[in-house]
Amino acid sequence: MTEDDFIASRRADWEELDRLLGNLPNLNRLSGAAISRVASLYRSLSTDLVRAHSAGYSAETIGYLDSLAARAHNLMYSAPPRRLGNALKLFTRDFPRALRRRAPFFVLSAVLFLLPGLVGFFGSKASPAFSSAILPEESLEEMEQSYSHSLVRESGADMEMAGFYVNHNIGIAFRCFTTGAFFGIGSAFFLVYNGLLIGTVMGSVTRAGHGRNLLTFCCGHSPFELTAIVVSGAAGLYMGYLMVVTGGRTRWGSLRAGARELFELVMGAAGMLAIAAMIEGFWSASAAPAPVKWVVAVIFAMAVTLYFIFAGRKDEPSPSERRA
Amino acid sequence: MSAMQAPGISPPPSRLDVGALAGNERLEDTDAEIETPELVHFSYRVAGPAHRLVAYAIDLALRALMMSVVGIIAVLGGLLGREAMAQATTGIVLLVVFLMDWGYYVLFESIWDGQSPGKRALGLRVVSADGYGISFADSVIRNLLRAADFLPVGYALGFVAMATDRSFRRLGDRVAGTMVVIEQSQKVVPPLRIDPPRTPEEMAEFSQRPRLDRVDIEALELFLRRRGTLGAARERELADMVVPIYRSRWGMQWADAERFLALLYSRATERDGHPEPEPSRRVGR
Repeated sequence: MTEDDFIASRRADWEELDRLLGNLPNLNRLSGAAISRVASLYRSLSTDLVRAHSAGYSAETIGYLDSLAARAHNLMYSAPPRRLGNALKLFTRDFPRALRRRAPFFVLSAVLFLLPGLVGFFGSKASPAFSSAILPEESLEEMEQSYSHSLVRESGADMEMAGFYVNHNIGIAFRCFTTGAFFGIGSAFFLVYNGLLIGTVMGSVTRAGHGRNLLTFCCGHSPFELTAIVVSGAAGLYMGYLMVVTGGRTRWGSLRAGARELFELVMGAAGMLAIAAMIEGFWSASAAPAPVKWVVAVIFAMAVTLYFIFAGRKDEPSPSERRA
Repeated sequence: MSAMQAPGISPPPSRLDVGALAGNERLEDTDAEIETPELVHFSYRVAGPAHRLVAYAIDLALRALMMSVVGIIAVLGGLLGREAMAQATTGIVLLVVFLMDWGYYVLFESIWDGQSPGKRALGLRVVSADGYGISFADSVIRNLLRAADFLPVGYALGFVAMATDRSFRRLGDRVAGTMVVIEQSQKVVPPLRIDPPRTPEEMAEFSQRPRLDRVDIEALELFLRRRGTLGAARERELADMVVPIYRSRWGMQWADAERFLALLYSRATERDGHPEPEPSRRVGR
């Protein structure tokens, strides 16, 4: 059979399949009968493709059949459709479960973040020379200046600050994660770096006598923000671990196998940072009295802790567990 | 390749390692072959750094444009409103900057099944290494890791990663298990036509319909379909190699070897009473 004859005898089916597929994002948009028709046309197309290959037909014909087969194949075997319920499960089940499963990395990340933080805090609280070795004095003075009075903003500034914090803090957290692609080294670096920086600022503000203002401002969002940075760092460290301890896979194969888990951890951290930015923008600098803010901060911290320990415990396995 | 094909010990093709599959000799270096559950193989053409750079530039320009629009609106809002209003719009602009930085690709790859505007303009698409459409999680991972690919500057690491992978995957692609492919022609190949059309004088030479067997006709068709892609000198060379066989069979003289083969094919495949392909089979591209 010549190529022209082959095309002439089969093109009606191809064009029908092409028409049915159209620009569909997924197959559920079609009626049951149409889906069956797509399936049967796809199978006959598969046969045509084999035949075209073995007959050695032209690259154009094979390219056309390839692309049609690819479209049909993609729709028939595509990723499951996105559902709002799945997105919700990501936070109520997948993230806390993944975090508990990878608790050692969370602990390691917390140590890498908190130890330099404590060093920075006590070091710069004790001596100005220590803090100025880490940060330029101008920016330290600026910090001390800005916390010299209690932070209460007007309403328009809230939105501005929320926007700023989203940009700045989620950026920091994501960098703690992505740089883990270098065997986790980048994550470790950014955890230590940010820990030291934050500790130093807190220490030098405290030394200047404005510790109370700083604490009152930060206590509300810190349970979410600092924890999320530690979670991102933990995800980055876990990424590095996957590259080293490959379990018999190739390095990239090992990363791929853990990708879903990394996704769950990072999305969890992103969600926490979004909450933190809202609190930081709209609550932390509000006019509420300091003791109220402290109580709320304790409630927040307990909520995060309980969420990490108990959320999704009794649920069915999450996608990353089913994959493993 | 041939070392792997030793009889009996050739490893079964792994569905995970698409790049290593090259059992089909038609496969080019930059093709990724997919095996479907029906055990059919089809191939994707993988997009290289050049295509992807252009797509990136388009996306970058588009993001810059959107940012400027939002920025201008914010400035206008700031000029018109009071200070509180200006601060609020600044906050919104910062939120948009964040979404553009981290969410632009995820958004478009999710709603357009693996295409951003730049990729769509160039006919590129992100698919999983198994040839499936990508999930939201895949898109998040591959686009978060852009930040790693970008290091130390200007996607330098991403380029190195792409250069050392046969599916041109950057770090983000490798972790997410995705690749960027070029979508191929969506049109049926039109039947061969003789250009310029046959003249009566030419056909007088072929007064008797040549009888060619299937193999001859298919070989001629393959050759004629590839004309214009092989290079003029190579085409002439190939035609000159083949023509003497037919010439000696029918004792015909012909100056232009390629023209001779085209006419030979056309005369040998025409239906009785239809000198040209029937109108119904003529497809516009």
